[in-house]
Amino acid sequence: MRRIETDVVVIGGGATGAGVVRDVAMRGYRAVLVDRADLGQGTTGRYHGLLHSGGRYVVSDARSATECAEENVIVTNIHADAVERTGGLFILPPEDPQDFGDKWWQGAKDTKVPAEEISIAEALKREPRINPHITRAFAVEDGAVDGWQMVWGAANSAKLYGAEILTYHRVAKIIREEDQVRAVMCTDEKTGEDVQIDCTFVINAAGAWAGEIAAMADCHDVTVVPGRGIMIAMNHRLVNSVVNRCIYPADGDILVPVHTVSIIGTTDVKADDPDKLTIPRDEVQQMMDAGEVLVPGFRKARAVHAWAGARPLVKDGRVSAEDTRHMSRGMSVLDHADRDGLKGLLTISGGKLTTYRLMAEHVVDQMCEQLGDERPCRTAEEAVPKSEEGKNYVVTHRLEEREEDRLADQIICECELMSRQSYVDLLEAQPQATLDDLRRQLRLGMGPCQGGFCTTRAAGLALEHENIDIERATGLLRLFLKNRWIGLWPILYGDQVRQTALDNWIFQGTLDVEHLPTPDEELTV
Amino acid sequence: MSKIVVIGAGIAGLTATLRCVAAGHQVTTITKGIGGLQLGQGTMDILGYMPNRVERPLDDLAALADEHPDHPYAILNADAVRTGVNYFAELVGEDLLVGDPERNVFLPTAVGALRPTALAQPSMMAGQLSDGDSVVMVGIRQLKDFYPGLAAQNLARSTLPDGGRAAVRATYIDLPARKGEADATALTYARVMDDPTFRQLFVTAVKKVIEPGEKVGLPAMLGLKDPNSWREVAEGLGTEVFEVPLQPPSVPGMRLNQTLVDKVKNARVRWVYGSQVLGGVAENGRLTGVVAGTTGHNVTFPADAVIHAPGGFESGALELDSYNHVFERTFDLPLAGADNEELLHGNYWGEEQPLFRVGVRVDEQMRPVDADGSAVYENLHAAGGIIANANRWREKSGDGIAVASAVRAADSLSTPTTAAASGAMDSKGDN
Ligand SMILES: Cc1cc2nc3c(=O)[nH]c(=O)nc-3n(C[C@H](O)[C@H](O)[C@H](O)COP(=O)(O)OP(=O)(O)OC[C@H]3O[C@@H](n4cnc5c(N)ncnc54)[C@H](O)[C@@H]3O)c2cc1C
Ligand SMILES: Cc1cc2nc3c(=O)[nH]c(=O)nc-3n(C[C@H](O)[C@H](O)[C@H](O)COP(=O)(O)OP(=O)(O)OC[C@H]3O[C@@H](n4cnc5c(N)ncnc54)[C@H](O)[C@@H]3O)c2cc1C
Repeated sequence: MRRIETDVVVIGGGATGAGVVRDVAMRGYRAVLVDRADLGQGTTGRYHGLLHSGGRYVVSDARSATECAEENVIVTNIHADAVERTGGLFILPPEDPQDFGDKWWQGAKDTKVPAEEISIAEALKREPRINPHITRAFAVEDGAVDGWQMVWGAANSAKLYGAEILTYHRVAKIIREEDQVRAVMCTDEKTGEDVQIDCTFVINAAGAWAGEIAAMADCHDVTVVPGRGIMIAMNHRLVNSVVNRCIYPADGDILVPVHTVSIIGTTDVKADDPDKLTIPRDEVQQMMDAGEVLVPGFRKARAVHAWAGARPLVKDGRVSAEDTRHMSRGMSVLDHADRDGLKGLLTISGGKLTTYRLMAEHVVDQMCEQLGDERPCRTAEEAVPKSEEGKNYVVTHRLEEREEDRLADQIICECELMSRQSYVDLLEAQPQATLDDLRRQLRLGMGPCQGGFCTTRAAGLALEHENIDIERATGLLRLFLKNRWIGLWPILYGDQVRQTALDNWIFQGTLDVEHLPTPDEELTV
Repeated sequence: MSKIVVIGAGIAGLTATLRCVAAGHQVTTITKGIGGLQLGQGTMDILGYMPNRVERPLDDLAALADEHPDHPYAILNADAVRTGVNYFAELVGEDLLVGDPERNVFLPTAVGALRPTALAQPSMMAGQLSDGDSVVMVGIRQLKDFYPGLAAQNLARSTLPDGGRAAVRATYIDLPARKGEADATALTYARVMDDPTFRQLFVTAVKKVIEPGEKVGLPAMLGLKDPNSWREVAEGLGTEVFEVPLQPPSVPGMRLNQTLVDKVKNARVRWVYGSQVLGGVAENGRLTGVVAGTTGHNVTFPADAVIHAPGGFESGALELDSYNHVFERTFDLPLAGADNEELLHGNYWGEEQPLFRVGVRVDEQMRPVDADGSAVYENLHAAGGIIANANRWREKSGDGIAVASAVRAADSLSTPTTAAASGAMDSKGDN
């Protein structure tokens, strides 16, 4: 067993946990973050990619609207490299309730969400593909945010302040000494080793899994209802700014351009288990129809990938458990000293990725108060590493980089213009990573060919790392193909079928990957 | 002499075209693009797995047919496959395909699997390994589609067909195809390998990294046009060499494709490239022509018979639309397996995906048939990937099905003369 000593353990490496560990470290505590998988592999890696302007909530949830508007400015600034300032539109299709336009406009004023009504002609000039029959259009400050880039940015910032980030460490137990938290017990998923982290405080930021974690400290009945939503990435940018349907929040009403794709979403259905989220065909159909309302001809575009995420909604007795969209999306902090008589444990859940920093500030304020420390939050003022210059992401950046190193370097993933050097460097820094872990940071295999051409290269290069043997390299290849398929088969139609057939010809036809020596046990992490 | 229209220029379309020309027909081949032949591994597969590894493909066809009575091989039988494969081998010649259709060879792939195939290019044949062989896989730093370690180490831990093991190691050479270029495909290399000067540079570089007694595995890039390029490399190195096929662009695939296309172009075929066939003109249950889209306007090509060899899903001949409806794009032919409830499932390494079995059902003359088993058009024949009920990439059966069906289709053309002679003309409605 390995033993570590620290002040604060943060459980969960999603947006919330990464924000918390950064905040804790910046306030001068020793901190360790643990996640059972990679950073941003929970809901933070299965969301819509929208940096809210607040526009979506101006009628339904005034407080969230204002918070989003404020945090939007901060996140755009401190995570410059993760945010693309696309801007957004709220458009009112003719078939929707027309009086909502006025309500929305009034709401925007009341909640101080920056907005401007623009002419239909201007809206169509900005976004030529949108429904030309819309009756009103409002421009807002929506952006696109790469959740992985943001989370790694926050984690790297935390590291600069001395925090330790332990991925693939699954929490199994929280050890208490009577009414005080003493340690967190984890299993290192890569080695199987037990790890005990002694601490005085634990912040539970395990999202949809927060109830399980609380129960590990014998704090029962924390119910987090997973609200499942599906998203579909279309293979190019049908729009260059975020396009929202100007209606009371509903299914499939937002199209977000993120990197090279645009993402339609989402649905909201109560799920039983956040580890087993389905992507039902009828919901895919629903998204296609919703896409048609925003962009006529949507179905003719090519869908490349789909995924499902679980909103971590803390159960609120006032609404039925079936109707998760109308539960509190606001953040909630549970003080287990109050609730369960256990000192040194706070649970933070709910909220949005856009407001992750504010959530962290709230919960760390509360921790400081309990510890009797007066240490102010500084996370809004300081940019994370690589964002210091305040240069926001632009979609063409890789084109520019490849143009520069075109003679000196190889392109390993053509769809996403990922260079060999960037891949080898990240692998050097994270030699235990799976190809999916690398993908989340590099976009390896995320484009139209979905790994058809780059997977073998990625596995071949991995084998050249001194710590990766043939069994693991082959396992990485197998695991990557398996995982890519999870998000492919539910939306497979049109040209993506052609691509899949070609990919199958490559892997099974030419390379005969199915008949490689098979491992005794399939690689999973 | 009949007017035959062949649709498609993949392995099936090209083979059918040449077979029809040889039979004295007047052939028009219409294709919207180059077929899949040039993307593939560049060998002739008949049957590699069912699902166990197949040693004698033609012998095992009968067992396959028993198990799957609707498999294309059940309709074609071993003789038809032998005829088709031999015909194809003759077309491309011994410079490009050697071996015995009765017996599979097992050749290393770029990830180090031992892949069964029936005929292969002579440049690959030394890849048949036996117990105790010493092998070195040589990569080129500037070529990103071949990682010698992956191939070598997987091969080294594989049991060879003779039950033994080979000692396989990996190494690299550093040799840009063009000065200062770090990123090249096998095609770039194949082109420069046609030049004897570069070939010499290549041999010198490889010589430095190999040991006496080692067989040398190389990425398949040993020349595109010059069929003897690889022999010179072997002589220069003084040892046996074998080419390992790579993902596209595939040089061995291109060699086969180019040879056939050249043959077609030299064979008084009317070659209509870059046009998509949009449908047919039918009269009394027969096609009298097909309509193709060309720049600006549609053109009708008259036909006494049509061989439809447009490929499958990979070429866009079959399509699954966003409403989960599968259809055949050219003639809207009836499809077998399209109404399956579960066309796809989520387990990548599990059972085959039923979607990719969908295609047209054919009779013994390779004519697409409807649910009752009667030909959709008296004189429409199908060949290749459009035919239903094979699991081509897993079985490694795509080439064999294509050439056998192409030859069978060409040999059983129902043209007005033959139809009248057999009195087989029926008055089926125009569908
Ligand atoms: C469909 C959908 C769309 C959304 N779209 C947007 C959007 O466009 N914009 C926006 O701002 N917000 C959006 N959200 C909300 C946003 O994604 C979430 O609020 C946010 O990602 C939650 O982050 P989190 O860190 O709280 O949870 P998570 O990211 O789920 O993090 C929890 C972590 O805990 C870890 N964990 C669980 N159990 C253990 C254990 N035993 N040991 C160790 N670690 C454990 C998990 O692995 C996981 O990484 C969306 C949400 C959904 C579901
Ligand atoms: C903003 C954004 C933009 C994106 N853009 C693209 C894009 O351009 N192209 C593209 O291909 N993809 C895109 N994606 C999707 C992305 O590739 C993943 O499919 C998605 O993030 C799912 O997470 P994952 O990759 O970690 O999981 P997966 O690759 O789906 O699976 C990895 C692991 O998670 C587990 N798992 C899988 N599904 C579930 C589930 N439903 N519930 C619980 N556990 C599960 C599996 O068991 C496996 O262990 C985007 C995602 C986001 C959030």
